[in-house]
Amino acid sequence: MADQSLLTDEIRALVGQATESREAIVSEEAVRRAVGVYGGEVPSLEEGGIVPGFVLTGLMPEGDNIRIPNLLPKSVLVSNEFAIERPLVLGERLMARSRIADISERLGGQFGHGLYVRSEQEFRGLNGEIVGRTASTLMHYDPAGAEERR
Amino acid sequence: MTIDLATLKEGDEIPVSEMTPGAEHVRNYFGNSKTAPPFFFSEEAAKAQGMPGMLVPGPLKVGILYGAVERWLGDAGYVRAIRAAHRRPDVQGRTIQIGGTVARVYEEDGKRRADLELFIVNQDGQPSVRGFGTVEFWDR
Repeated sequence: MADQSLLTDEIRALVGQATESREAIVSEEAVRRAVGVYGGEVPSLEEGGIVPGFVLTGLMPEGDNIRIPNLLPKSVLVSNEFAIERPLVLGERLMARSRIADISERLGGQFGHGLYVRSEQEFRGLNGEIVGRTASTLMHYDPAGAEERR
Repeated sequence: MTIDLATLKEGDEIPVSEMTPGAEHVRNYFGNSKTAPPFFFSEEAAKAQGMPGMLVPGPLKVGILYGAVERWLGDAGYVRAIRAAHRRPDVQGRTIQIGGTVARVYEEDGKRRADLELFIVNQDGQPSVRGFGTVEFWDR
């Protein structure tokens, strides 16, 4: 018997949910932390100087990420990404918000029938222009369904 | 490292480098977060979750790819994008290899850019991340 769709109206309604925009500052501390993550060299920290774009991944204020409900008993991280439209500079102030960008359904594979939830953190400049984005995709699945496929 | 932009082409390799992600990298990643899951910091908590050890957080692996690309790029430009598709977990304290190739060199919006295919391979030679990147070169 074919599986029933997991993508109910209630779950579809989560797409687009977003947090309020909050200020995120490209600070010296954020730069030092980012460089410490990948073991690079801390650049010259002059106000207005270009800093590594990876800084973006640590700018979302604590607790401001969108809460994703547990749609199925288990979840696994599928992917992470970041992208910037232009170099970031030290001291600039961005506006950040987090949102559920997409939910899709997938059949088959190691985990069986699952739901892919993509959440995005969007960073905008003073004029509202997109400066960069970070995103992650979580796959929610039921281990019972995955076992049946093994 | 200095890239020769005049000869850069599809298939050029990003040299393989090694790294052993550990507690310090993880602490930097989480910063002062109060919501960081304990299984990234405690062997016991990780085992209780059925994990083989304290894992390397997925987003941190974006940083590891970023670092490899930045070292290869030097002062020739900046990293515009990195994506990591996770294949299997990496455990803190185990050495990984990072590398890649140039997939495409092109002009877009009046800028010279390159797309990269990237990878992280674990100690057993198994791919743990398939990655993608885009860099933009400074106008000279």
